[in-house]
This record gives sequence, C-alpha cells and structure tokens, in this order.
Amino acid sequence: MARNGTVIRTEDLNKNFGSVQAVRNLNLEVSSGSRFGFLGPNGAGKTTTVRILSGLLKQTSGNAAVCGFDVSTQRDAIKAATGLLPESPGLYSKLSAVEFLEFIGALNGKSGEVLNRRIDSLLGMLGLEGRQDDLLESYSSGMKQKVLVASTLLHEPKLVFLDEPTSRLDPSASVLVKDLILALAEETETSFFICTHQTSFAEDVCDVIGILNAGELVVHGAPNDIIDSMKVDDLEDAYLKVVGGQVDRKALLAWR
Amino acid sequence: MVRQWLAIAKAEYLVLSASMRPHRRAYLGILTSLAFIWAVIGAPILIGGVISAIIPMATLQPLLQMVFPGLMRTVALFLWIVLLLFPLSYALQEIKVGQWEIFLSNNVRTRSILAGTFFGKIPLFGLIVIFLAPLLITPLVLAFEVNLIGQILIYGVITLMSLGTIWLSNFITSVIQARLGESSRGNDIAKALAMVVAIVVIIPMYGLMFFLPTMSEMMGMNAFLILPSTWFADTMSWFAVAFNGVGLTGSQIIGFGSILQLDMLTSTVLMGGFVLVTIGLALGMTDRVFTIEAGVRTEVVTTVGKENFILRGVRRLNSGPFGSLMVTNFKDFMRKAQNLSKIFYGVVLAIIMPVIITSMDIGDYQLSDMFLTIIAMMALVGAMPFAGAGFLESKDQLWIIQGAPSGASKFVKSRIVTQAVICIALIAIPSLVMSFLIRMTATELLAIVGIGYMAIFGGMLVSTGITAGNPNYEDTKSPAHQTNVMASVMIAEFSIIGVIFVDLLASLALNINVFGIVEDFFGPGNMMIGMSFIGVLVQWTIGGILVWKGIRKLSSPDN
Repeated sequence: MARNGTVIRTEDLNKNFGSVQAVRNLNLEVSSGSRFGFLGPNGAGKTTTVRILSGLLKQTSGNAAVCGFDVSTQRDAIKAATGLLPESPGLYSKLSAVEFLEFIGALNGKSGEVLNRRIDSLLGMLGLEGRQDDLLESYSSGMKQKVLVASTLLHEPKLVFLDEPTSRLDPSASVLVKDLILALAEETETSFFICTHQTSFAEDVCDVIGILNAGELVVHGAPNDIIDSMKVDDLEDAYLKVVGGQVDRKALLAWR
Repeated sequence: MVRQWLAIAKAEYLVLSASMRPHRRAYLGILTSLAFIWAVIGAPILIGGVISAIIPMATLQPLLQMVFPGLMRTVALFLWIVLLLFPLSYALQEIKVGQWEIFLSNNVRTRSILAGTFFGKIPLFGLIVIFLAPLLITPLVLAFEVNLIGQILIYGVITLMSLGTIWLSNFITSVIQARLGESSRGNDIAKALAMVVAIVVIIPMYGLMFFLPTMSEMMGMNAFLILPSTWFADTMSWFAVAFNGVGLTGSQIIGFGSILQLDMLTSTVLMGGFVLVTIGLALGMTDRVFTIEAGVRTEVVTTVGKENFILRGVRRLNSGPFGSLMVTNFKDFMRKAQNLSKIFYGVVLAIIMPVIITSMDIGDYQLSDMFLTIIAMMALVGAMPFAGAGFLESKDQLWIIQGAPSGASKFVKSRIVTQAVICIALIAIPSLVMSFLIRMTATELLAIVGIGYMAIFGGMLVSTGITAGNPNYEDTKSPAHQTNVMASVMIAEFSIIGVIFVDLLASLALNINVFGIVEDFFGPGNMMIGMSFIGVLVQWTIGGILVWKGIRKLSSPDN
C-alpha cells in the first residue's frame, strides 16, 4: 500500500497504563514489502505496539500511520488493509475450521464461492484439510494456531501483524509458517510485522529487526548489520547483549 | 510437617473469599458475629414477634405442634437440596482439574485433596447455614418450648446435616469434574449441568412458595421416609418432643410417633449411618476419583455434518456476508450445551407461571387480569438465556472480531437477528402449554403470542446490549457476569411493570387516570393488554439504546 513507500510510520508514539509506560517515544518506519521482526522480552511493549498499529488500542500520545491511514481517525481503513494474528487463540470452540474461517470472511465482507475456494486453499496449504470439519475444541494448540494464521491471511491483507506466530507450533509447523511468510512476501508483496521471542526465526525470516526494551526501540536495522555492529556471532547474542539475561550461575544456585 | 489437607483447605477458602480480599479477616469477623447474634438473639425475637403479632402464641402453639413434623420434613428437604446442589452448581461453573495435577505431582494423598477442598468450603457455607438454620428451628423451639439441651441437640443435627451434605456435594462435584476433564467441551457441559442443577433448586422453591400445604401433607407420606433429609428432620422433631417444655403427655408423644412413623433411635441411627456411609464411601473412592484422565477433548472429536433446513433457509434469504454471520452465530449458539440449558431454563420459567395460575384455587379469574404479569415473565424468559455468558468466549475473540472493519457492529447486529429467531422457540412452547392449561379465546392467544414475543425480543435486546457494553466472556463466576444477569433481568422486567408506577404517580401527582386513557384507546376489557403493549414499547426503547451503547463500547479501541 505504501503511498510513500512505507507501510508503517510512527512518530513519538507513547502508551501508558497508569504509571506503567508500555511504549516510549517509538519512532519507526517499516518499508513496503519488508518483513519486520519486532524482538523484545516479555512486557517490553511489543503486543501493545501491535494493538495500537492495528487500531485496537488508543495511544496515549504521538502519531502513527499504517498503510497510509491514520491510527487515530481511520481505524476501519487500517483493519481492511491489515490482518492480525493475536498472541493467544480466541477461536470459537463450537465451530469447525471451515465455519470459523467463513465467520471471519463474513466479518470482512466476503462470502460465497470465492471465499470457500480461499478457505479450502489456505487449509490445504496449512495441512488441515483432513480435520477441517472437526470442531475446534478438539484441535491441539498448534492446529488452532494454524487456523488463526489462515484467518489472518483470508482477506489478502497488504500488511500482516503476527504476534508470536510460532510460539505454539512444533518445528515442522514453524518451518511451514516461515516458508509461507517468505513466499507471500515475494509473490504478493505482502508486508509482515512479526513480534517474536525466537531470534533464530527472526534471523531466518526478517529483513529488518527492531529490538524493544522497556517500551523503547533500542536497536533497528538489518540482522547482519546488527550482528556486525555489535560484534557478536548471531542475533541471539545481540539480543542478550541489549536486553541482558545472561545467567549468573552463582546467583541462580544461591538458594541451596 | 505442614498438613496437606490444611494447605488445600486454606487455598480453597482464599479462593472462595477472594471478593473480600482487601479486608478478609475484618469482613469474616463481622459476618460471623452478625450470624451468631442473628441465630441466638435476632431470629428468636423477630420470628416470635412476627408469629405473636399474627396469632397469639397460646392459640398457635397446638397448631404448630400438629403441623410441624410434616413441615419440618419439607423445609429440611429444601435445605438439603440447597446445600447439596448450590455448591455443586457453583463448582461446576469452573472445572479445576488442572490443580489436581499440581497436588498429585507434589505427592499429596488423594484423601487430603478431598478433605482439604471440603474444609475450605466450610467457612462460607457454614455462614449460610447459621443464617438459615434459625428460620427453620425457631418456630419448632417456640412451638414445643424446647429447653437448652434440646436446642443444642437440634442445632447439632442441623450442623451434622450441613456438614454431611456439603461433604457429599464436594465428593459428587469431584466425580463430575474428573469425568468431564479440563477442556472447553468439559467446561461447556459443566456449565450446562450447573444451570440444570439450578432448575432443580428453583422448582422446589416455587413449590414451597405456592404448594406448601399440599407438600407438607405429601411429606407425611411413607414414601418420603427414604429421603435422608427426612431422617434429619425427624430426629430434630423427636428432640423437640423429648425436650419439650409444654408438658406433652405420654399419649401425645405416642401420637407424634404415629405421624413420624420411625422412632427416635431409628431416625438417629439412619441419620448417623447416612453421614458415616457417605464419608466412608468418599474416602474409599478417592484414588479412583482424583485421576488425571484424557478428558472429553481427546475422547470425543465432533465432526460437523450438512447444514439443516433452517440454516439453508437463512442462506437462501441472505446469501451475503450477513447471512453467513447469522449461520455461524446459529451454529455457535446452538452447539453449546450451556446455551441449550439456558433456553430450557427460560422455557421452564415460562411454563411454571401458567402451572401455578391453574393450580392455585383463585376462583373464576380472567386471563386479562394476569396479562401484564405473564408478559413481564416473558421478558424475564427473553433476558435470561442471552445475559452474560454465551456472547463472546474470550477477550482474544473480541480482538479478532474488532480486527475486521466495523467487526463488532456487524457481529452484534447479526447476533441479534439470530437470537430473534431463537426467541420464536421461547414463545412457542410456553404459549402452547398455556393454551392447554388456561381457557383462552383466539384473540387472547394471539395477544399472548404477539405481545409475549415482543417482550421476549425486548428482553433479549436488553441482555445483548448490556452484555455487549460489559462483556464478561465465559467467566460465570465474575462480578461482571452477576451484574450483567441481574441488570438484564431487572431492566427487562421493570421496564414493562414500570407502567403501573407511571399510572400511580400520574394519578397521585397530576390526577390523571392513565389506565382509563389506555382502556379508552385499546377498548373495554383490554386495559392490561394495552398497558403491556406500552410497557413493551418502553422496554424496546431502553433495549435499543442499550444495544446502540453496547455496539459503540465494543467497537471503540481500548484506552
């Protein structure tokens, strides 16, 4: 969508929950067609940022534009242009995968044969065609995550927000999602904004990385540039260097 | 070494009293003091005063002595059902098998789990018993002028009955929870069971209110001697007789014996034996109850079949996205056991009303006299199934719906149309029952069906609006859920009944006879139908505003 070559632009974006500052002066630009990896520890403000950018949460101050639309005034336009995979699955337990996707399609104004074909192709792609008519209550958490991935891509959004897309998936399903992202980004120029804890996943999939710590964007750049500039072996080391988290064995066993 | 059952009891108690967390000790101290003051001083003075104000005690005493053994069985049965089913209904609203995994992995003995969960419940339910027991016991004490030893023994029986029943209820709850397992399907079935259990409590409650004399006669029948509550009731009656201060003669005591059928020793042995057997049975089976099983999720995989003719009809009428939303809403609502049990609950509530009307010997009444009451009842029937739970399962589900352009608005609107179709069942069944039970003209039946449906629809609008404005998801134990249910039912009913107060105020303050104006407009004899119609219009207006506000709230981004 990138009316100006960027799909996301934020200016001094802040979000406070009472005395807690979840997002602090976030200035960010994500180019159209890129796969942006948003890394950070638990509670760093990643999910809050995604919710603001997808029009689900009001910012305390600052501005942001997504796909050229203002997050304060053009939320419906943003929702039409984007897809969101939430952190935890909010599926309907008494619907089958096909029925749930039909529901999501209808919410996005789609129905009929075109929608049915899209549902079949997505479920086939994600390996769910054998279980597509079973109620979601009997699905494993990995299968539920796959259904959610399908629901996110259903209306062919220009920008996809993925909040921890592989946290519940086994390695082979993770590889599938990784390949899906890469293929969609190359073939359809879909942009991705991916929140994750998994640095190896981010390194493999994302062309730009931002590391958020205590609500503040502290590192921004291509994975290799970050690794070179921080003089470390891989993205995990860079991440640990930024947010801390190296284990002090002595302190760890001090209770004994 | 820390006693395992004590640690579990403490945790259970902390969970049950979580709502008074900031000042738990102070609240509990005040409540306990109030309960004891009520039991020892307040209740005897109040009940004695009320009884004496109605009929002098000297006149009433022989009457009370005569009816009390039968009445005691009825009230004991009610108390027993409440104590057995209320904790069961409460516990079924949330399956907590996950905690067993923690207990068992920490090598906690299964008997400690059962004992801990039981003792943890005692403070809360004990308080309820202390508040309720004097209502049961005081008239008995007054009727027979029972001495202090007798009173202590009677309170002892009540305590034994309460503890024994809560123990049994705790055991049954554990068995059901273990069978259902912690899964969305298990939780759904448990919530449905909780609702069915509530119906089982409600029906005797209605019975006590309206058929008390008949039921106390029934309780005297030998068939009721097999109920454990009868053994407790009879033991209490025997203690009152044995420790009486009214100077009962030997022949009078023999007379009581012939009414009660079983002598004091047999009643006491049966009562004690029942408690011992339930304790022994539960302790003996703990290893079999507290087992982590695969659960319902992995045992049953439900595959959906072809759509039925109703859903195909909806698709034919609206082939666009709105029709698709309606179809998925139908499927989601009707496949949940808890929603079906709420519909069943609503229908039972609606049917009870005409049953009571026809059972009460109130002479040659006209249906039109009861019309407004019936319509107000219909509003309750419409509000109950759609208030609180069954709307959105989780906050994450709301994020998904909000993620679509105008998603929340489309969702609520399609939900309302779907529920309006479901409401047809809610009017059809009670109307059919009423047409059999009450003689109605075709016009009256038409008015019941037409205005009754409008009231049910209005009740549903109110519930949907309130729940959309304050979604409590699937948490039926939360204060938000209680608020939603109470507010929905109250607004749905009182917006209709409110027209009576309008008439009252208008005639008092402005000397305007609203009833007369309505009768002039709707025709002679149709005043109640007219008032009901106006009440429903008020209800729809309030419902519409609530839905509009609910949609706005649900659509707006979080702050």
